[in-house]
Formats: sequence, structure tokens, C-alpha cells
Amino acid sequence: MGRNISSVKARIKEEHFFDYSLLFVVLFLLGFGLVMVYSASSYDASTSKSFNYDAAYFLKKQAFAAVLGIVVMFAVAFVPYRFWERFAFLGYGVSLVLIFLVLTPLGIEANGARRWLNLGISVQPAEIAKLAIILFLASLICKMKGNIRTRKGFWTVVGVPVPICLCVWKITDNLSSAIIIFGIAILMLFVASPEYKRFFIIGGLILGFAVLAVVFLQNMSTEQLQGAGFRSARVLAWLSPEDYASGTGFQTLQSLYAIGSGGLFGKGIGQSMQKLGFLPEVQNDMIFALICEELGIFGGICVIMLFVLLIWRCMVIASNASDLFGALLVVGVLGHVAIQVILNIAVVTNTIPNTGISLPFISYGGSSVMFLLIEVGLVLSVGRGIRLKENT
Amino acid sequence: MLKNKTKNREKVVVATLLFILLLLGLMGRLVYFMVFQSDYYSKKAEDLHVRERYIKAKRGKILDRNGVVLADNITVCNVSVIHNQIQDKEKVIKVLCEELNLSREYVEKRVNKVSSIEKIKSNVSKEIGDKIRDYNLAGIKVDEDYKRYYPYGELASKVLGFTGGDNQGILGLEVKYEEQLQGEKGIILTTTDARGIEIETKGESRREPIDGNNLVTSLDYNIQSYATQLAKVAMETKEAERVSIIAINPQNGEIYCMVDVPEFDLNQPYELSGETELALQTTEKDIEKARQEALNQMWRNGCINDTYEPGSTFKIITTAAALEEKVVSLEQRFYCPGYIMVEDRRIRCHKYGGHGSVSFVEAIQGSCNPTFISLGLTLGVDRYYDYFSKFGLLNKTGIDLPGEAGTIMHKKESIGPVELATVAFGQSFQISPIQMVTCVSGLINGGKQITPHLAVKVQDENEKTVKIFAYKEGKKLIEEETSATLQYLLEKVVDGGTGSNGYVEGFRVGGKTATSQTLPRNSGKYIASYIGFAPADDPQILAIAIVHNPKGVYYGGQVAAPIIRQLFENILPYLERM
Repeated sequence: MGRNISSVKARIKEEHFFDYSLLFVVLFLLGFGLVMVYSASSYDASTSKSFNYDAAYFLKKQAFAAVLGIVVMFAVAFVPYRFWERFAFLGYGVSLVLIFLVLTPLGIEANGARRWLNLGISVQPAEIAKLAIILFLASLICKMKGNIRTRKGFWTVVGVPVPICLCVWKITDNLSSAIIIFGIAILMLFVASPEYKRFFIIGGLILGFAVLAVVFLQNMSTEQLQGAGFRSARVLAWLSPEDYASGTGFQTLQSLYAIGSGGLFGKGIGQSMQKLGFLPEVQNDMIFALICEELGIFGGICVIMLFVLLIWRCMVIASNASDLFGALLVVGVLGHVAIQVILNIAVVTNTIPNTGISLPFISYGGSSVMFLLIEVGLVLSVGRGIRLKENT
Repeated sequence: MLKNKTKNREKVVVATLLFILLLLGLMGRLVYFMVFQSDYYSKKAEDLHVRERYIKAKRGKILDRNGVVLADNITVCNVSVIHNQIQDKEKVIKVLCEELNLSREYVEKRVNKVSSIEKIKSNVSKEIGDKIRDYNLAGIKVDEDYKRYYPYGELASKVLGFTGGDNQGILGLEVKYEEQLQGEKGIILTTTDARGIEIETKGESRREPIDGNNLVTSLDYNIQSYATQLAKVAMETKEAERVSIIAINPQNGEIYCMVDVPEFDLNQPYELSGETELALQTTEKDIEKARQEALNQMWRNGCINDTYEPGSTFKIITTAAALEEKVVSLEQRFYCPGYIMVEDRRIRCHKYGGHGSVSFVEAIQGSCNPTFISLGLTLGVDRYYDYFSKFGLLNKTGIDLPGEAGTIMHKKESIGPVELATVAFGQSFQISPIQMVTCVSGLINGGKQITPHLAVKVQDENEKTVKIFAYKEGKKLIEEETSATLQYLLEKVVDGGTGSNGYVEGFRVGGKTATSQTLPRNSGKYIASYIGFAPADDPQILAIAIVHNPKGVYYGGQVAAPIIRQLFENILPYLERM
């Protein structure tokens, strides 16, 4: 990889490396996302009174967030990332406080969940928490130095994100974000620690527990199921969506209709039928199903390949980062994007039970895009810190 | 430290590769859904997006032999609501209740139902449909449609039958020739969004309906209406329960008329004439049951769906068998003391005191029971039963109407002399009127079996013949000479015998009367009937009249024969011109 970077350097003849491919991929995903958000939302927005019959209602809001995000991204990219280390502890605290603020009148309720904060613009504290945990853990692990190898060090890093995760889960009722935050933490720990065994054991245990839970649910009587809550209902709907077609399995089934009817080349951009009110949350969590419906399997695979490229660039930057703090920041962002993409597509294709996760850079959602772009800014900043002489 | 850094790099690569592996797995998942399951989900999605609306095909007309339209179509309207398009719900409900005369509860339930389209009422007259359309209310849809219309109301109701809400045949010819009459539904496919609103840019695909073909029948409007009138008069004057008249061409089996009064109004087939019996039922379920029972009774075609004891008209069959077997000659003499002993049973002749010494011709003229009993006994069970079977009386006639009743007859093994004696003059078994007509036609037309039928041909809307119904040439029943003798004998019955009331001036008419007591024998109820045909030496028309339970005089010769005489007086000159 080092050779690759040096050739780039050789052409642009600059002291600092700048990852234009990463920037290009991110901008492309953003632009593509805007097109798809417009395609997904224009019909609904243009026929609905609550959106002033404005077909571009969602597009405008998303474009505003994207432009703002890009400005912030470049600003962050040109600030040396070391600068942010001093805010690590503060960030952790602030994000916790913000989560609790959701309970105050500042909180905004939408779609039956109280997840947003009105800070001039509406912001999801869970998105801030993702960034905060990346920053905090990177700083913490650097300070621990060799102690990360000890059992105490290991469990400290596992324990640090737990309060935030619990708050995100219980207070904002957002299990998916909690899982993502925890996943990011585990990934950063995995990279920092020289161990393999413990991770395999933990992974194996989680997997085993999940399988057991599913088997247990399947054997439960209907009476017991009624008391078991909506998460277990989602698991059952995952196993056989057509049996729950009008209830919990509805969205999943509509998503499969969209994906399946896309076929090889899709119906053409703008031609989706499922977006006409059939597929709930189509501009949001379900946007990948719309991409598949309109652009076919080639469109779907192209989008996945773009994310693969993005992850790959992050990997290259992380591997060549000039210090551990920078590398861990990039790994955190890599984990955030990768976990969210995988979970989102897995939900949309009914590979895992339904849970609300948006597709990074593409799904509608201002705060998600803003904070992702800040994270990309950090990665670019780490990239700029790579001193090319060391690698040649 | 450097060692650590290498380890970290390795871990980053491992984690990245793991993520990429998972993404590859998800690509596989996409391939599964979008390549292998694509057809399945495309179909499902299309079912969801496409709303089907059917366009009824115009049902074919039913015509009589001269092109008179007996069953026609008129334009009516179907009124539906589209839930998601309704704006002023209260007004919609109000207008529908008022204009369609429906209960508020009924309309409200349908208006509130979330469906792409909900039918409120079908077969609404065009007048009311136009009126509702003029309100211009969003969410109400008025579609034009065809409805069956029978211009002559009751005429031939039990033969023609009627159609249901989806224009499907329910009774009679409408059912039997459904395939020819119904045509093929058209279809409009429109794409809608989740709220049921049509997506105009997607357009609609449309398959035009194919109209049904017209059915030309052998019925004759004039004969049918005249016979209906005669039957009604007879029913009224004799206070009878039911009167049936069938007229047929005995040469080829074409039915000219089939009447079974009381008939019912084909345009209101679900309206009962008298609902008195329904009032006796207490629970709603019982009322509904009794109502259905009464409707079925009203729709029954007694000429085909019911059986009766033919009585003396059946002596025609006994005579044919005896002549064919040459066990009797016209000059042969019989003695009737007013009864005959069969084993230990004394069977009486209808004539008190007996006919005395008579020739066979006189015996049939007087319809003498002992004579025909002795003919039956002479033939014996085997031969008699063989003829019964050979004349097709054990099978159905194959008439092209649904629900033909089968013959109720003794098993051959259980026929003893007493049973044989009663069968010989038409008692102790039951056949349908159409069976009687068919059998006698075959015996007096020169001896060839016929298939009674109504359908002649199928025409398209331009009166171009699409199909001609072929009825197979029947097998030979009796020799031509036997048939000729039978014609002669039956002409004698009208000319100076019990059938003298069937005589039509200027025409040679043959016939036979019957008076049979219905079961139980002591009920005092009778069936009076008469079969007549003309011209006697070359029959072109044969008709039967059956009067059920006449009051007062109940003899076939007095009650039934005049009906056919009047029919013949009117239609024989008319048939000659045909």
C-alpha cells in the first residue's frame, strides 16, 4: 500500500498526502444519495399536505445538511487531528448529557420514538455519541499504552462505552444505535489489542446466545409470545415474513417485493412502484431496497462496491497513520460505516431481524450525514498526517 | 513499539477483510432475491400495485325460431366507492343512502372500509346512475354495465331461466348455454399507489370484452304466448294447481312451446307471489330457509323437473308394443264387465258397469282398462319391460334443459302380474311430461326416436351462424306400419271416442286422454291430461296438456282435450303457412 501512496505523491509532488479517492467516493455517495432521496420522497412529498406538496421537500433538507457537512468536513480535514484529543473526555460527557436532554422539552418525538433534540436544527444525540466514543476510546487506548494487553485494560475498554450504550438503548429507545456504538468500541479494542482468542470467544458466545434465543422463541406458545414484546415479534417475522405480512413482517416483505422486482437491471431511476406508499421509510432505512428496485442488481452491487472501496481507503489510511491515535480514529470511523452498511443491507434483505438502521451517506437524515462527514474529515486529516518519507 | 504497530496493521486488515466478506455475503443474498426469486417477488409486487377492473361482456340474446328476442340486455350502472378518494364522507353516505334506498349502516360500513374499490350496489338503473354521477362527488364511481332484460316478463320463464348479479346463468337455457351466451370478460388493469390512486403516467392496459353469441331456439313466440294464455285460463276456470303444456315437432324434436303455469317474472325472479307461508316462520333463519324453498318451488319446471303418473295416455305405449308383437288385431274382440281379476285383485274399469263386448278399436276409443290389462298380461313381464326400455322410458330424453327428472319404475324382478297390469294402463310408475311427449312422438312419427330440444343454432351479433346444433338420428322404435296403425287408432279416439273434445274442424287429429288419481288414492285429487297430434296421418305437431288437481269435472277428455283443441285451432293454420 505504501508504494501506491508514494506513486500518488510522486505525481502531485506535495509534502502532505491527501486521499482524493476517499473524498471522491464520499462525494459520489452523497450525490447519489441525494438523487435517491429525491426519487424516494418526491411522490409522497408532492401529494402530502404536511410537506406543502413540495416534491423537493426532503431533497432540500438533505442537500442543506450535506453542504453544511462538506464545509465542516473540509474544516476538520485541515485541522491536525491531534487537536481534538483534548476534547475526548468532554465529548464523552457532553454526549451523555445530550441523551438525557431528550427527556426534557427540547426532545422531539417522531414515529413513536423520542430520539431527536431541537438545537436550532434537529440532531440525534446517538449520532454525536458515535463520534464521541470514537474520539474517547482512541484517546484512552493511547494513554493506556501497554496496559491494553492486561485483562484490566481489556475490560476497561469494554466497559467504557457501556453507559452510553445503555442510555441510547433505554432513553432514546434505539437498540440499533447502541449496538453500533458497542460494535465500534469492540472493533477499536480488537485492533489495539494483540489478542485474537478473547474476541473469538466473545463472538462465539454472542452468536450462540442469539441462536438459542431464536430457537427458544420459535418454541414459545402464542400466549407467551404476546407478553414477549415487539422485539421477539420481529424475530418471528424475520423467520417467516409472509406469515406476518400485515403486521411486523409488513415492511420486510415490502422491501423484498422492491428488491425482487428490481431484477437484473431494475425498473429505471424514478420508476419504483414500491415507493408510492407501499414501502414504509423508503427514503430512510429502506432506501437500499429502492436502489435495488430502480437500478437492479447492478445498481445494488455498485453501491456495495463503493462502500468496499471506502472501507478499503480507511484501512489504508489506518495502516499508514503516523501514530496510534490517528490509526484508531480511522478504525473507529471504518467500523462505524462498515457496521452500519452491513446491518442496513442485512435488514433490507431480511438477513437479520428488522431494526431501524440508516444507510450511511445515502439515507435521508441530516444529523447522520453531518456527523458522518465530520468523521470523514477526521479520516482525511489523519491521511494528511501521513509523512511519505517514512514509507519510502 | 514497531512490533506493536505491525500487529495493529494486521488487525486492521483482518477486520476490513471480515467486513468485506460479510458484504460479499450480502451481495450473494441480493443475487438470490434479484435473480432467482425475482419472478416470484415481481409477481407479488405487481399484484399489489395493479388494480383489476372487469368489463362485463354483453350476454348473447335468446331468440325464438323467427328471431323474436326473448332475452335481451339493457344498460344499467354499478355504483362503487373508492375509500381513499372520498373527500366529503358525510355527503357521500347521504347521497348513496337516498338515491339507492339503502340503510345508512350498510353504506357507512362500505364507505369506511379501506380497500381499493368497494361495490355499493350493482344493477342500478341508468337513470339513477346518471343522477348519482351528476352529484360529481369524489370517491363515488359509477360504471355502466349490462343487465339481462326479458321483454315478455313471464313468457317461457321456466325454459329461458334468468341470470345472477354477475350475469351468469342460473336457470334454464341461461345455464345450459352459458358457454355460448356469456362471452368473455374484458379487463382494465390500472396501476395504483398505496392509497389506491391511479398513477396516470403508467397508463392502463385494457383487454376488450368479447360479447356473447345469440342463441336461436325452436320456441315460437306466438305458440308460446297463446299456450300460456290457454293454460292460465284453464288454471283459473278449473281452479287447478298447475297447468303444463308442451308442443313439439314430433318429426325432429324441436320444441315449439313449453308452458308451466304459474310462471314467474324473469325480471324479478326473487320476488315471491304470496309470502303468507313465510309469516308462519318465527326465526330469521327459518324465514330465509322457507323463502329459498318457496323460490325453488316457483322456479321448478313441471314439464321436466317433476314426474307424474301418466294414466291412460300410456295406453298408447301398451298398444304400440302389442301391435308390434302382433298379439292384438284391430278387429279382435274384448269383453269388459267393468273390472278384471288379476290374481286375487279386482281392478276396476273407469266405466261403471263396463264397456261390454268391444272390438280393439272401440276399446281404445273408450279407454277400456281391462282390455289393456289383458294386453299387458299377454305380452308378459319380459316383453313388456323390454319395450318399456326400448322406447327409452328408462333413460332420460336428453332435452337441453337442466334438471331433467328420471323415470320412477319398478325393478324388473319385482314386477308381478298385478304390477304389470297397472303399468299397462299407466299407473304405479312415474315419468316426466317431456318423457311422455318424447316417447309418443317417436311412436306416431313413423317409429323413429327423437331428442327433444330447444337450441337450434348459435349466431354472432351480425346474425351469422356460428354453430348449428346437431341432434343424432334416433334409433328405430317400431315398424312404420305399426306407427301407421297407431295413428289410425288415435285418430279414432278423437273421432268418436273419449278424445272427441280434441277434434279440430278441417284437420285430421289424433289423441288420447288420461285421468289419473294422484297418490294417495283417496285424496280426491286428479291429474287430467291429453296428448294430441296433427295431421294424424303425417304428424307435424304434437302437444300435451296436463292439468293438476282441477276442481269440479276432472276428466282429461273434458278438462285437457279442449285446451289442445283450442291450441290446434289457432296454430294449425299458422303452422301450415310456416
